[in-house]
Amino acid sequence: MYGFYGRLLHIDLTAQAYDWRDIEEARLQAFLGGIGLGTSLLYDFTPPDVEPFSPTNPLIFTSAPLVGTGLTTTAKYAVVTKSPLTGFIADSLSSSFFALELKRTGLDAIVVTGRAAQPIYLWITDNTVEFRDARHVWGKSPQETEAAIRNTLQDSEIRIAAIGQAGENRVRFATLSNEGRHAGRGGIGAVFGSKNLKAVALRGHHLTAVADKDGVEKIARALRERSVGPETAKYREIGTVANLSVFNRLGSLPTRNFQQATFSHAEALSGETLVANSFSRVHGCASCTIRCERLFRSMSGNEQRLEYETLFALGPLCGIEQPEDVLQAARLCDLYGLDTISTGGTLAWAMECTEKGLLPEARDAGLTFGNADAVLTTITDIANRKGLGELLAEGSRRAAAQIGTAAEFFAIQVKGMELPGYEPRSLKTMALGLAVSPRGACHNRSGAYEADFSGQVDRLQADAGRGALVVSSEDFAAVLDSLIVCKFLRKCFDDFYSESAILLSHVTGWQFSSTDLKRAGERINTLKKLFNMRAGWQPGDDWLPPRLLNEPLSSGVAQGVRLTPDELRIMIQGYYAARGWDKDGFVPEGKKRELGL
Amino acid sequence: MDTQPPSTDLSAVILAGGKSSRMGKAKALLPFDGKPLITHLVNRLAQRFADIVVVAAPDQTLPALPVTVVSDEVAHQGPVGGICYGLQAIRGTAAFVTSCDVAFLQLPFIEYLTSLLKNYDVVVPFWQERLQPLHAVYRHSVIPRLQEQLAHKRLRPIFLYDTVPTRKVSPEEIKRFDPEGLSFLNMNTEADYQDALARWRTLYPPVSCTVELFGVARLKANTTQFPLILPTEATLEDALAALAAACPQLVGPVLSSDEAGYPTLLSGYACNINGKLFIKDAHTPIQAGDSLLILSSDAGG
Repeated sequence: MYGFYGRLLHIDLTAQAYDWRDIEEARLQAFLGGIGLGTSLLYDFTPPDVEPFSPTNPLIFTSAPLVGTGLTTTAKYAVVTKSPLTGFIADSLSSSFFALELKRTGLDAIVVTGRAAQPIYLWITDNTVEFRDARHVWGKSPQETEAAIRNTLQDSEIRIAAIGQAGENRVRFATLSNEGRHAGRGGIGAVFGSKNLKAVALRGHHLTAVADKDGVEKIARALRERSVGPETAKYREIGTVANLSVFNRLGSLPTRNFQQATFSHAEALSGETLVANSFSRVHGCASCTIRCERLFRSMSGNEQRLEYETLFALGPLCGIEQPEDVLQAARLCDLYGLDTISTGGTLAWAMECTEKGLLPEARDAGLTFGNADAVLTTITDIANRKGLGELLAEGSRRAAAQIGTAAEFFAIQVKGMELPGYEPRSLKTMALGLAVSPRGACHNRSGAYEADFSGQVDRLQADAGRGALVVSSEDFAAVLDSLIVCKFLRKCFDDFYSESAILLSHVTGWQFSSTDLKRAGERINTLKKLFNMRAGWQPGDDWLPPRLLNEPLSSGVAQGVRLTPDELRIMIQGYYAARGWDKDGFVPEGKKRELGL
Repeated sequence: MDTQPPSTDLSAVILAGGKSSRMGKAKALLPFDGKPLITHLVNRLAQRFADIVVVAAPDQTLPALPVTVVSDEVAHQGPVGGICYGLQAIRGTAAFVTSCDVAFLQLPFIEYLTSLLKNYDVVVPFWQERLQPLHAVYRHSVIPRLQEQLAHKRLRPIFLYDTVPTRKVSPEEIKRFDPEGLSFLNMNTEADYQDALARWRTLYPPVSCTVELFGVARLKANTTQFPLILPTEATLEDALAALAAACPQLVGPVLSSDEAGYPTLLSGYACNINGKLFIKDAHTPIQAGDSLLILSSDAGG
């Protein structure tokens, strides 16, 4: 087999047992790798009513056919489980050397079930699995854990993904981290913690075999060249933090818990200012020519990675004005293994509770918009589930449900997942994308904002036609996330589907057409929906929080613009129609048959 | 900005092959309103005519234009030759014909002239005691008559008007659209040219707008925003040309030149007006007070 190994490793933590199993060729062809393969395996390995923290909830790592081929931006892996934050699918990506090492173990997937009796880490090689005591690293940060395990195993080539204290304490938005990068959204780290699993260490020796080496190399060379052209200049020269000043100017920068769409201190927090004043160095994932990561130096001398989502969530969303404070907050989140978007979203919710007099504990903690000291203290409390942190570790939806309806009005989440930094009222296509996304409010499993930011549509208006745009964006993302190719390379293709079909055919030796890939995208997204339906999805889950549907924008170029429930309903109907689902959003039998599900 | 679509049935012909002997330099290339005069004319006429033919002298230099260029088969036969060769190349059934040295074409007036064509083969204005054959409308069907004139060296266009149904447009009619007769203000000397420029600036004062730079563009230019002065009726194309001139650091990383020599935004970059409208069409009008945002076309991350 080329590109794949046709093999997964199943590990039962309870029994401390494992076995290798074949993966059918048909499954690989239908779902590719990454998110697609992960979704397919998750559906089959998850008992229908499983609780996310139950030992039987599987944690699934998947590799992908393009990983290890040397193709730029493909050193990525997916990790999939049932989310403790949403109760639906959690599918996250992370990248770099851990991804390459996973492929080198000769596996397309690792499925972990069960629960260890005490903290352990997994030490996996080509043909061995060891259940190692992790008590000495319990309580340590992911970075410390990586160093400690590498030291114990005496092999500098070992690659490790680990959780921090937030995962150990089952904070519902805890991440899994490797080499400073995170599988960030949906609380995958908390599922690790629920299994008493601190880390996974990998060392493999397989090389990815491809069917047509010359064919792959030719395309790889072209993409490599294009990946350093103007299409990626933003990522190469500033990084994703470049979004902030633009979003602010376009009235799309969520500020003070979505009370405003512009921030008075946006200039100080902008990517351009950060690059000018605090830039430390550029970093990139393994096998990547774009190298989008920017490390900034804080006043205390620490280097800190910063992406737009972190910057927005721990900055404007919480009313934090100083870059230094955002860098410190980001550092703590990395240290504890916390999703910065959900952390910022939940903190901002608590700050508004203080404003409205709904949460005395938040007031006592000093959690008001702009209070950086309180943010830093509370982040630590969340990771340790201490004091107010116990409530906030549940995420804004569950926390608000404990306070009451008044607080639910401004819990800015979809399906329990806090919104990323895109203001839905001034980005109507994105509003739909956020409402219907299977994993909750997500900017990665679709790039619906692209229609809004390109002038393809009037971003301030809603119509049923947005449905088809979101469908095509979701399917495109599903294919990118399953091959896997980084989204930052997406503009470097002239015709993504036909070019990647040729590429995948060269890699695997199986013939894929662009139609096959489009179909795969649809199949993957439909299966995510089927997973969610089985987990209890109801039409009301595809909806936006009340604030966004009741309050007009109060600032910026789109001041006064609303998103009404009727507008959202029309867009959602357009989406279901474009998906071929019924008017309530359920997948009909005929559609399942059509997609072989 | 009138949004009426360009006519596909009617064409426009610009005669650009004259000797320009009194001007001493090619009239078609005279800088006017930020671009060569011929480009200015073509842009104006393109708002009404999908098919534009430029009749040039053999080997004449022209900027790249979205037009059909034909050469005088026999050079310097005067306007009759130019009109004849131009009409032979049109795709429509009739054409508005003009010379290349008039800067003040009035589109509503041109539309009025074409509307009069119904029962005629030629529509020609009468202004300042003379007919204006190079601001007139001719049917394609007059070509044989023009060829006949050429064969007999009858090189004055007015001979045609005696042989085909011709509608002469009176000064009273003209004044309804163009009280000063700006339509017929051509440029034969340097003094004419300077007068025209001055008159243009009075009639159409320059547009002042602001450029705001984001992301890579801001880093390259090392500035956040600056004012930009553009010609009246400026388009995105004009704005990008002015931006390239004001900020040469952007040419290469952010702006490139297209075949016609006008800068375009490289893929990876986008332009937004006033934070509201993303624009791609080079001919989108820019208005006074506009803010032009130059930003990454990629909002991901």
